[in-house]
Amino acid sequence: MPHYNLAVTESATVPISPPPFLDVATLLEASRPVQRVRWLSYVLTTFVVITLIGLVEGSRASPFMKSLQTTTGILILPAVLLATIQSVMNMRSYRDQQRQLDAIEEMIQLRRWEPAGLLLNRFLSGPVRSVGLWAQALVDLASLLGRHHRFDDAMAVQTFVIENELLDDQSDFFVRLARAMAMLREDHLVDADRAIGDLRKRDPDRMSGGLALVEIFRDVKTGHPDEAIKLFEKHLPAMQQQLGHRVADAHALVARAHDLLGQEPEARAAYERATLLAPPAELQRRYPELAKLAEKFAPSIAPMEVA
Amino acid sequence: MISAERAIRTLRRDLTISTVLRGVLFTGLFAAATMVPMNGAGMYAVAALLGLSMAWAMVSIQAARRSYLTGDSPSLIASGQFAEAEEQIEKEIRSFWQFKSVRLRGLHHLAVLRHAQRQWRESALLSEALLRQRLGAMPALARTTRLMLADSLLELGDLPGAYQALLTMYAQRLSLNEAMNLLVVQLDYESRIGAWESMLRNLRHKVQLVELLPSNSSARAQAMLALAAIRRGMPELAGWLRRRAELLVDVNELTTHRPILKEVWT
Repeated sequence: MPHYNLAVTESATVPISPPPFLDVATLLEASRPVQRVRWLSYVLTTFVVITLIGLVEGSRASPFMKSLQTTTGILILPAVLLATIQSVMNMRSYRDQQRQLDAIEEMIQLRRWEPAGLLLNRFLSGPVRSVGLWAQALVDLASLLGRHHRFDDAMAVQTFVIENELLDDQSDFFVRLARAMAMLREDHLVDADRAIGDLRKRDPDRMSGGLALVEIFRDVKTGHPDEAIKLFEKHLPAMQQQLGHRVADAHALVARAHDLLGQEPEARAAYERATLLAPPAELQRRYPELAKLAEKFAPSIAPMEVA
Repeated sequence: MISAERAIRTLRRDLTISTVLRGVLFTGLFAAATMVPMNGAGMYAVAALLGLSMAWAMVSIQAARRSYLTGDSPSLIASGQFAEAEEQIEKEIRSFWQFKSVRLRGLHHLAVLRHAQRQWRESALLSEALLRQRLGAMPALARTTRLMLADSLLELGDLPGAYQALLTMYAQRLSLNEAMNLLVVQLDYESRIGAWESMLRNLRHKVQLVELLPSNSSARAQAMLALAAIRRGMPELAGWLRRRAELLVDVNELTTHRPILKEVWT
């Protein structure tokens, strides 16, 4: 059963002025799901009590009680209808937020970071309708912060999501992977190593291509190119299958590993494969360690029809 | 294993029964409400009203609780746990106290499962049955089902059927995922009718989209584009697309499923 280290507010808080752009503390606070007062259920419970009293008292009821029971009878149907309308409106509002979030995620996928950031900032500036949507939006926030090279902020959001158990096991695993990657980017090597160890325990069959990629990055980062190459060779099929075009990252990192070992032909070939799948600038943005490769080797050139 | 025909029959029967039950419940509520102001029957009418309302609420709560179950099967299918997904879907379909939308989604999940298991006939049957229902409130489900139907019909070699299914997709506003999947099915269809020119139209945009797809679909789409490039005499483009596909999947597997693509590697 998930537990939330959150004080759930009683009513919606509307910020007076817009918060700073993607400010983690502000957005986490402002976006907390709100527990709504279920006044209709109180009304319906009152009606139930009055009806039960009426049934028990029968003809002995006082005139006041009788008129109260008649009023209850007349009002009960509109109250049930109102409750139905309210739940339909709640569902509609939930779907509306889901659509907004889907649009934001599409922009992230299409690498339209700027509008995605603006929309997400606005989305998280008010209470989110459900914990599920909230978690989804926070994962997107962490991803955008990583894109802006704000890895400490990204880690703060990821840690918040993990500690509050907002996600299912599979999604939680991916957030932990992303956090380990952010740790490596920020040179928190000890923390990253611990995080990788924890991820290995959660993936005992070693089937995760994402985990293999993080381990390769760690080995390249910590100057263990041999291990990086071994991992690459062992886990390439899983990475191919699971990472799609992001398998370019693995080829790029193994190119760097070969380069560190002075194996120039292998490094050149791996860099060529990496840049066949992803633009060199994008790879370098993800892994600044690849800058040296870009100076040494020519990337794969896309034909003019798609360049 | 639940068969497509049986799942469709169960859905139709349950939808009919639940429509009748809903009618009875509404009639009861209306009758009780009109009897409330009457002398003598007033209190009993209120009790009946209350009882029926509570029955309605309990059915809704039960259905809402069960609807959480439907969330699991797509991820089970995606991770290849077909037996677990089958079990889950069977529960979704056989559960009588369920919202109509959840039941329809259950049938949709069964179609997705059969599609993933490459049981094209079953998948097509289920998709067609689903599209015969009124899906106005579930446009995304209708679009995904139509795409799946087009793909299954293509696999069965029914090109006119696939064309009909695809045709309606172009008039609709699609999400990014739908647009990506439509592109894969469209390329498959066009390669079968030899529309090479059309396949290479707006190529930059198509390449951008296929880069976002999972490995198998991405490789398949790029191999088909490579085939179109070969047929249109563009060897450099064909080579570039072919090498990208090679980095994503096992080529033998790809050409086994799509023999037409063998030409790309000869």
